[in-house]
Amino acid sequence: MSTPQPSASSGVRVAESLTPDRRRTLVTFGAAILVFVVGAFLHEGFASASSVKAIMVVASFVGIVAAGQTLVILVGGIDLSVPWVLNAAAVLFATASLGRDTRAAYAVLVALGLGAAVGLVNGLLIAYLAVPAVVMTLAMNGIMEGLTLGRTQGLTCETCASYAPPSLQEAIHSDVLGIPVDLLLWLGVVLLVTLVLSFTTFGRRVYATGNNPVAAFLAGVSVRVVTVVLYMLSGVFAALAGIVLVAYSGQPTLGMGDPFLFQSIAAVVIGGVSILGGRGHYLGTVAGAVGLVGLISLLQAQNMPEYGRSIVYGVAILVVLLLFGREERT
Amino acid sequence: MNDETQDTTAAAIDAVGVSRSFGGVTALAEASLSARFGEVHALVGENGAGKSTLIKILGGTVKADSGGVRIAGEDVTASGPAAARRLGVGTVFQELTLFPWMTVAENLFVGREPRGPTQLIQRRKLARSAEDVLARFDVHGIDPRALAGSLALAQRQVVEITAAFMREPRILLLDEPTSALAENEVEWLFGLVRRLRDEGACILFTSHRWGEVASLADRITILRNGTNVATRPRFDEGEAVTLMTGRTIDRMYPDRPAVDEGAEVALRAQDLGGDGLHGVSFELRRGEILGVGGLAGQGQPELFLSLFGARKLSRGHVEISGERARLRSPADAIRRGLAIALVPEDRKTEGLMLPMSVKDNLTLAVLGRISRAGIVRRKREQSFVEEAIQRLQIRTRNPGVQAVGTLSGGNQQKVLIGRWLLAEPDVLLLFDITRGVDVGTKHDLYKLVVELAAQGKALLYYSSETEEIAQLCHRVLVMREGKIVSELSGPDADAEALVAAALREEAA
Amino acid sequence: MTTVPSSAMPSHTGVRWRSALAQNMPLLLAFAILGGLTAVYVGLFHGQLDAFPGSFEWTSIVNTAMPTVLVAVGQTIVVLTRGIDLSVGGVIDLSNALAATQMQDSVASMVGWSLAILAIGAAFGALNGVLVAYGRLQPILVTLATLAILQGLALRALPEPGGVIPASYSDALANPGGPWSLLFVLAVALGWLMLRRARIGVRIFAIGNDEQAARAHGIPVRRVKVVAYALSGLLAAASGLFLSATTTGGDATAGDVYILTSIAAVVLGGISFFGGRGSALGAIAGAFVLTVLTNVLFFAGIDPLYQSFFQGLFLVVAVLLGAVLGRLLRGSA
Repeated sequence: MSTPQPSASSGVRVAESLTPDRRRTLVTFGAAILVFVVGAFLHEGFASASSVKAIMVVASFVGIVAAGQTLVILVGGIDLSVPWVLNAAAVLFATASLGRDTRAAYAVLVALGLGAAVGLVNGLLIAYLAVPAVVMTLAMNGIMEGLTLGRTQGLTCETCASYAPPSLQEAIHSDVLGIPVDLLLWLGVVLLVTLVLSFTTFGRRVYATGNNPVAAFLAGVSVRVVTVVLYMLSGVFAALAGIVLVAYSGQPTLGMGDPFLFQSIAAVVIGGVSILGGRGHYLGTVAGAVGLVGLISLLQAQNMPEYGRSIVYGVAILVVLLLFGREERT
Repeated sequence: MNDETQDTTAAAIDAVGVSRSFGGVTALAEASLSARFGEVHALVGENGAGKSTLIKILGGTVKADSGGVRIAGEDVTASGPAAARRLGVGTVFQELTLFPWMTVAENLFVGREPRGPTQLIQRRKLARSAEDVLARFDVHGIDPRALAGSLALAQRQVVEITAAFMREPRILLLDEPTSALAENEVEWLFGLVRRLRDEGACILFTSHRWGEVASLADRITILRNGTNVATRPRFDEGEAVTLMTGRTIDRMYPDRPAVDEGAEVALRAQDLGGDGLHGVSFELRRGEILGVGGLAGQGQPELFLSLFGARKLSRGHVEISGERARLRSPADAIRRGLAIALVPEDRKTEGLMLPMSVKDNLTLAVLGRISRAGIVRRKREQSFVEEAIQRLQIRTRNPGVQAVGTLSGGNQQKVLIGRWLLAEPDVLLLFDITRGVDVGTKHDLYKLVVELAAQGKALLYYSSETEEIAQLCHRVLVMREGKIVSELSGPDADAEALVAAALREEAA
Repeated sequence: MTTVPSSAMPSHTGVRWRSALAQNMPLLLAFAILGGLTAVYVGLFHGQLDAFPGSFEWTSIVNTAMPTVLVAVGQTIVVLTRGIDLSVGGVIDLSNALAATQMQDSVASMVGWSLAILAIGAAFGALNGVLVAYGRLQPILVTLATLAILQGLALRALPEPGGVIPASYSDALANPGGPWSLLFVLAVALGWLMLRRARIGVRIFAIGNDEQAARAHGIPVRRVKVVAYALSGLLAAASGLFLSATTTGGDATAGDVYILTSIAAVVLGGISFFGGRGSALGAIAGAFVLTVLTNVLFFAGIDPLYQSFFQGLFLVVAVLLGAVLGRLLRGSA
């Protein structure tokens, strides 16, 4: 992802210097805004400040998971283990904290550590042992599911009834200057990932790896290390999402991570990141997440029964894809 | 400036005023081409002159923006590849159409497999038919049961060529058919071409190798900047070069600077062994251009990759400027002052990241130098990029944004080399950098190589063209089966001697 | 510098054998794993119950495996074109829901609805294909979207688990008296072998190998993709019918688990997600492997809550084994 030359003069120069990736990101943001416009048209108050805030908070959960997903998809991989890494981290966070503020920091670190460890294993086997990403992460999802269910005996263990530390619960639900803390956290993630991808040498290596791993290797990029790091980050972000969700709702539940698999992939791909790797940016994913969650909320606001929502959701995704997601004609 | 009017009933190909642009870049500007049945017609020109585009238009896979195309008298301007096929047009393009995970036999008969009464493919008949075809076309050493993807590039090209000839085309379009072939395979192809021509077909081919063009073609058309500049039965090589490039190149190969006898040994290889290497030792001094010759596939790529840390060595060691170097990865090699410009057999995969910008491609090997604490410093990056563009005269509109994939082949090559020049290496491993490159750019690259040697760099140079190695290098190591079988230098190292050394049995 | 090591010299039979082995290794490995696992199952069974598994056990395994077998073959066809079909779960949901609510206890009704359900599956599959091929959309997203649509339709048809499958239907498809369903497996396997040698089969493989090259050969890539996805939909619908027969009831979400199961079976079958190579026979073996594995875990006394753990571990080990063997066989090329 390259930056345009500092343009001295007109907007035309800027527009000309927009890479196709950036254009796509803008288009996706446009689509997301469109969702709100349509929503406001159908429902008074849909585009109100409080409604938008609520939608953005839900989008942040998807967005955090999708940060990791974006990174691995950029190198041509995928992470199908996010549902149960999220869930396991959530459970670990709650049970390690025992509901006490004094253990909050410890619990957060341990849960994030779990995400990193799982990501490390994923990355090592994918990069060094050439296990295909689809298979490895799919298997890991099962492994984490089994471990979580087994160790907590179906969430019936002694410490399983723990709540998240109250101070964190409170923090997540509060606002700073009118902006929910949760959104600030997401903003932090956005800034971090954007910084890494667009401004660091590591980001260049990521794109090089995604575009042409052999050429990148010959140019001195340690493709395997890059891959491992990205899977670790994916694990960490999934764990982070789990922690935030538990802080938000108070207690972990079984299966809480399931919706995030398809939603994170959808957000990433709608956001213009190619499933083959090498193209796209996290900002696009952010737009995709907001648009997607906005759409879901819109459908819920229509008071549609569940089956109707599902159908409309599917149709809407197809429409969005047909408008914005078509591959190049070969 | 076309030939005298030909008998139109014998016109196989008649393209008039054809223009085509790709995203603002003009590939063809009212080009014309006329080729007859019973003729071998060569199409030559620099990279970006429009040869491939014109051939693709003739084959129907690309449509012209304007102008008219007639094949065997029929207007096919608006038609696609199916119409061309129907009219008996066969093609062998640079992008091979082999299916890697299907066998050679399956590839040869795709779409026309022998079927039984149940309409299901008969495997055994397929295998036998394939053996028959290979025998009929005098192809040896290729197992019809082997997966196409497991063959070396030259073999794949042979299979693709065989498949095209098998269909007995009336018009055959060949785009750079000899780029990966060894000399005996080129002769084989020429035999097939001449036989087909004698049977009344029209063959149109493109090539960068003037020797081939001169010996095979009945008529030659020169393209420059998307237009037909001249069509004649014969051209003087110098005249042709001038017409192609628009400038005069007196001497293709610049003078070599003498090597200082006392110059430091920049690279010493001692008994290198590994996959495909069986004990290679040599010394390379500063200011020297050391050639690596021999037939293709005798361990040369393995040697280069091993020296660069991209392949594991099972024995032996490498010394750089006198110090032992453990090169476990290209990153190690780069740190020790090595650089490799490697043009892979299929050009696209191992070199550049095509969708990424020229800037990103150029700076990939020097990320450490354009950044601080991992963050890229834009101004430094800018100056590095400008330096490379200047030095190599890379033609790009907006290096920060323009994708390398949209550059012409020659410019892409320059970007690849530019990447390595920025790394300021002491030793450069150049592997087939002039493959598929047009005459003008080749000359520029030779000048660059000689200049680098004059600056004191040590260069290891491999090319698939023997003439090039003979003219450019101070010494040449001839490889065979992973070993060095002879070393030729000075006046002894002419093209003939090199070929002889490559074919001879191992020196006593 | 090709990515596939060269082994084209047909010097002698030994080398020929080796390369043939290497080419078919994934398929052979799949069956080897199946054989090995079945042996383990028999061993554990005997250890626990002092008897060998009988007709009841084998019947139960075959009947349980049937839905996976069918959906895995369908998934294979799509994966061969370098795509993926996540909507198979939805097709099974809908098929199951419709069968449970609409099928009556008459031959006409059962046959009629079976055909209708198969047609619906094929139609949705064709829709997937059209969107992927003509719409130029990425398969993973298209099928994700149609999955949602199908899940919704399934819920509409059957909001709560329930419904009834006629007993004679269950008997026909999932006969509890003996492993007769193996005949269906045989039929599917034969169908696959025929497909491979038919024009459409070659085209499917060609597209997965290299779409550009396929187009250059005049293959109607888009039409073939539509057919591939339609076949997947058809087989998923058939899978749904067999699932209905086995469970004798309806549940609009019962098919969802088969999405990942079908992918696991394809993986175990040695089929590459890059397309262009692999045999559905491997996926059939893979489907049986998954079913037998569940039984093995049960008889090994593994806490059922830990089941997913062992399944995931098994999948990784199987893949690593395949990779190691592949490298060994290609060895000194």
